[in-house]
Amino acid sequence: MMEIDRLTKRFGSREAVSAVSLAAADGEFVVLLGPSGCGKSTLLRMIAGLENPDEGSIKLAGRDVTQVEARDRDIAMVFQSYALYPHMTIAQNIGYPLRVRKQSALEIEKEVTKVAARLGLSGLLANRPRQLSGGERQRVALARAIIRRPKAFLMDEPLSNLDARLRVEMRAELKHLQHELRTITVYVTHDQAEAMTLAHRIAVMCDGKIQQYDTPANVYHRPANTFVAQFVGSPSMNLIQKSDAILGIRPEDVELSLDEKPDWSPARIYVTEEMGNETIVILADGSSQLTARTTAGFRADFDTPVWFRFRPEKLHRFDPSSGARLAC
Amino acid sequence: MKAAVRYIAASAALLIALAPVYWLLTISLKREVDQFAYPPQWIGFAATLQHYRDAFGSGSFGSYFANSVILAAMSTAAALAIGVPAAYGLSRFEWARSWDLKIGDWILSTRMLPPIVTIVPLFLMLREARLLNSLIGLAIVYTGFNLPFVVWMMRGFFDEIPREIEEAAMLDGESRVGSLLRIILPLVKPGLAATAVFCLVVAWNEFLFALILTQTDSSMTLPVGIASRVTQYEIKWGAMSAAGVVAMLPVLVFASAAQKYLVRGLSLGAVKG
Repeated sequence: MMEIDRLTKRFGSREAVSAVSLAAADGEFVVLLGPSGCGKSTLLRMIAGLENPDEGSIKLAGRDVTQVEARDRDIAMVFQSYALYPHMTIAQNIGYPLRVRKQSALEIEKEVTKVAARLGLSGLLANRPRQLSGGERQRVALARAIIRRPKAFLMDEPLSNLDARLRVEMRAELKHLQHELRTITVYVTHDQAEAMTLAHRIAVMCDGKIQQYDTPANVYHRPANTFVAQFVGSPSMNLIQKSDAILGIRPEDVELSLDEKPDWSPARIYVTEEMGNETIVILADGSSQLTARTTAGFRADFDTPVWFRFRPEKLHRFDPSSGARLAC
Repeated sequence: MKAAVRYIAASAALLIALAPVYWLLTISLKREVDQFAYPPQWIGFAATLQHYRDAFGSGSFGSYFANSVILAAMSTAAALAIGVPAAYGLSRFEWARSWDLKIGDWILSTRMLPPIVTIVPLFLMLREARLLNSLIGLAIVYTGFNLPFVVWMMRGFFDEIPREIEEAAMLDGESRVGSLLRIILPLVKPGLAATAVFCLVVAWNEFLFALILTQTDSSMTLPVGIASRVTQYEIKWGAMSAAGVVAMLPVLVFASAAQKYLVRGLSLGAVKG
């Protein structure tokens, strides 16, 4: 169990993290999602003990660790740059947390062999970090984190330096690994696909505050405000300013027809983007644009007249001044 | 063609640079009668090791040499012991904004002073502390002289090491000091080597402070000892040259051992400055 209570961090006069509260159950995978500069990395670094919070507290397994040094928190972290020790072999890198804890050489070797086998690193143990590919370095960083079975894992955009294919592969592997180890994991990313696929719960952050903390399904289907609505989902949700509310509709909830239908609204095709498995259609409706997602077979030329409607049960309504979700 | 010109130019430069060294070496090996022969005997003179025997056997050059070794080692060790942690602190910890930009410049500015202006106050201070004519006193002065350089140069090397590496070490269970000793210092070894060689060479060659702050035969360093053989009555060219050749050797050894580090370390300092 990890409990964060009204944690605040200021840099000069700017609040990087403002009174953030967050709880994670044992074995939970929590993703902090937000644009760069939203405070998610600062929050993670405070949990790690690398930054001192100005206010608030952090509890881990019932113990208040707010003032405890990083090394005594029993937390492991995987960095975006991997932060391997360049002058040590892979085996020494992985075994380092145990060496610091003065375990016997025999025991360290046994553990390193086990963890390396689990992550497919057995053949690389005598190499140095610079001889490894990005994906292999990533695995070494993971191995170094899991070898001592800490109370929590922190991961700061661990996959963002990998190429797209490897990232998807590692994402799946990471999710399975976390399921096996059942250790609280806090994972920072700006990639919503990573957040949706990995998390038990996503904390969407903006301007140092948590905008919504909920399951991926709820974050997607019941966004708490217009920021979450637009940040999660690709292409992002259409927002339409009305006098009494902001209406939100996901592209896949916009129905299209090339034939005129009663009660449907007219528009023109601005552009179509064929993605292979689906087609993204951008409609021009007078001065505004609307994004729709439709089947792969949809074909239409520029400026073709088209009719659309919103699936009424999928319409979201937000308060026009605060942007907060309104009950439908 | 181009390469040929380059080699010729380089050879000419090398010849000019090495001519005095060659002259020194030959004088140290010539009999006294041959030293002033005209035209000069460049090659093919009768060689003798007499001057080396005079200088290091019966003369005091052996003890000057030992003094210089002790002094260079002490002052370099002290400058590194104080300067490396200072450089680490400057590189890693946050300073008030008004300090952050200036403190490095202040430290470096102490090197801009012409050394001679400090000699009178230093002389008086060492006299009060009863450290005149002592190696300890001179070592303190050299340490102070080398310290800004150590801080400036090592700060550049520490800045090059990503913070995340020591943060990882701290999360792995290291204290800050532990991560400095076991993770960071091994990574800045080239910088340490370059800095140490520079300090050693400066201390080894230093003449002005040693001349004024040590005046007894037992506390004299090699450069001062060599110069002291120019007396009112005679100039002992042979012994001076022999001692000069021996004085060059440690510098040659240090510099060639640390050559690749030295070039990188000095150019790094230049860019950072």
